[in-house]
Amino acid sequence: MRAKTSAVTNRGRAAVAGTFLQYGLPAALALVFVLLAGGLQRSFLNYGTELLILALIAMAWNLIGGFGGQFSLGHSVFVGIGGYTVAVLFDETGLPFPVVLLAAGVLSALAGVILGYPMLRLRGPYFAIGTLGIALAVTSWMLNWSFTKASQAYSLPARDMLRLPQQFQLAVVLAAAVLIIVTAIVKSPLGLRLVALRDDERGAASLGVRRVRTLLPVWAVSGFITGLTGALVAFQQGSLTPAFAFNPSWVLDAIVICVVGGSGTLYGPLVGAVLVFVLRQWTTDFSDWATLIEAVVVLLVVRLVPGGVWGVCESAVAAIRRRVRRGPPDRVASNRVEEEVMANV
Amino acid sequence: MEVIVNGLLTGGLYAATALGLSVVFGTLRMVNLAHGELLMVGAYLTSVLVVALGGDPLLLAIPAALILGLLAYPLQRFVLTPVMVRNADAPVTATFGVSIALQSILLLVFTSNPRSLNAPYATAQLEVLGVGVRVSLLIATAIALAMVFGVHLLLTRTRFGSRVRAAANDADAAGLVGIDVKHTFAMVLGLAAAVAAMGGALLALSYSASPSGGMTWLVTAFTVVVIGGLGSVRGTLVGALLVGLVQTLASRFIGAQYSDVVVFGLLIAILLIRPEGLFTKARRA
Repeated sequence: MRAKTSAVTNRGRAAVAGTFLQYGLPAALALVFVLLAGGLQRSFLNYGTELLILALIAMAWNLIGGFGGQFSLGHSVFVGIGGYTVAVLFDETGLPFPVVLLAAGVLSALAGVILGYPMLRLRGPYFAIGTLGIALAVTSWMLNWSFTKASQAYSLPARDMLRLPQQFQLAVVLAAAVLIIVTAIVKSPLGLRLVALRDDERGAASLGVRRVRTLLPVWAVSGFITGLTGALVAFQQGSLTPAFAFNPSWVLDAIVICVVGGSGTLYGPLVGAVLVFVLRQWTTDFSDWATLIEAVVVLLVVRLVPGGVWGVCESAVAAIRRRVRRGPPDRVASNRVEEEVMANV
Repeated sequence: MEVIVNGLLTGGLYAATALGLSVVFGTLRMVNLAHGELLMVGAYLTSVLVVALGGDPLLLAIPAALILGLLAYPLQRFVLTPVMVRNADAPVTATFGVSIALQSILLLVFTSNPRSLNAPYATAQLEVLGVGVRVSLLIATAIALAMVFGVHLLLTRTRFGSRVRAAANDADAAGLVGIDVKHTFAMVLGLAAAVAAMGGALLALSYSASPSGGMTWLVTAFTVVVIGGLGSVRGTLVGALLVGLVQTLASRFIGAQYSDVVVFGLLIAILLIRPEGLFTKARRA
């Protein structure tokens, strides 16, 4: 009995340490990079910002697409709304920077709520094509809307542009904050309901988990994050066109990154973003091939290792831990491994 | 009158482009997100054959359809079916991957310029019911009608059709009575791809194909399939005519640049009001 209690407290201590790492490490890393940003090379800042934009969109998509199991093809709308909010507000009003940034996120989240309320009733492929339809409809609307200069470029006034180190700092702060928020959501009761709904909708419903009520806040947060990322993209680019800001390639990037890194895992999008980014740097001279390689990798991952890179790491770590402990196998972990084995048969 | 005739003929073309999606959706219960790209690949393949061999694009669309069908068979057999068995939602990701792959291949080989098929009848006009209509749309409608009824008969009146329906209804039971389910599923995607290639050739005669053009056609085709109802080939025809009509009316009275917005709006409205389709008996999951 004594041994058992000590094991429990050990586990409890490990959990506390783990929680500290999960929340403290991103914050600490962000602080380091923000302080260092002034002294870093321009190319590093540039690459860093680009990488973090990929990671941010992927984390936002992962929240609803990975943990929620709703395959959104409409996230490019949020990027566009966030970006255009920044452009229009700086152009038409003298609002201070933080307000504009916040407005980009809030407007995207609001659009998410309005679109999500009907859309989230749809399931599986219906949701995917419904959101794709919305994305295409919004794009063709924006191409004709004279308020945002239709298909022409909408430039940010130069005086409000962030300089490169500041862009990087903003990207770092956003990425760390988003990682912490996503971790908190996933660990919250809302996150548990979300995953329950994904894994077994009937079962979850029988326990009182309501679909739209669970998905809508998550969808709105995902839209908020993507909108902020769109704002960052606007600062980085300096001017926007509907063809660029609402381009389906945003959501394409997000899905590729999530699938490769591990959809529905906390750190999969980060791993995936690094992998995809590195691949793109390798293939800059023949960038058309990069998309094809990414698509083939996605197919291979879906067919052979559905958990993605992070999923494989997690199950490998779990397997090693079990071997080291040599105790009774951890039920949850062994179930996961069984699933993996079944999946590969 | 003119608008209505042209709308119905546009609908005929839509039937040709949506039929492949409808077949796969109706039998395999899988939404093929790569369907738009199958249309585009069909159009490009036909165009390559026209350049290489010279001849009528409609005749050369037939070998193109065979080639695409042969290419689609292993895709279903070795990639999509194993994924489907595992998880009902996984094919969405998988077909999405196929869609990006096909798009980037088209981009690599043919660059991003749109391409259309040329034939003497592609731009010709004809008087029908006192209204000037495009001959290419008339041909598309005729071929679409033939394909819809051909596929309908194939699925309901032949041994192949009964195997397909048995495998789709209950793959395990079908396997127990000696149906090769994997082969049957792969044949279905092959058939759908072949039909899509024909549809692609027809759309390239009237409009144009481009590597990134598949998405819009996918959403239009999906609208058609949803309106027609899951698994109903004849419903697809009705849905297509309706979508063609609505879109032509919208572009006439609201403005051509908003005609796509109207179609997507229609899709969303239908999904919310009657996701099981307008022409099937209510059967909510």
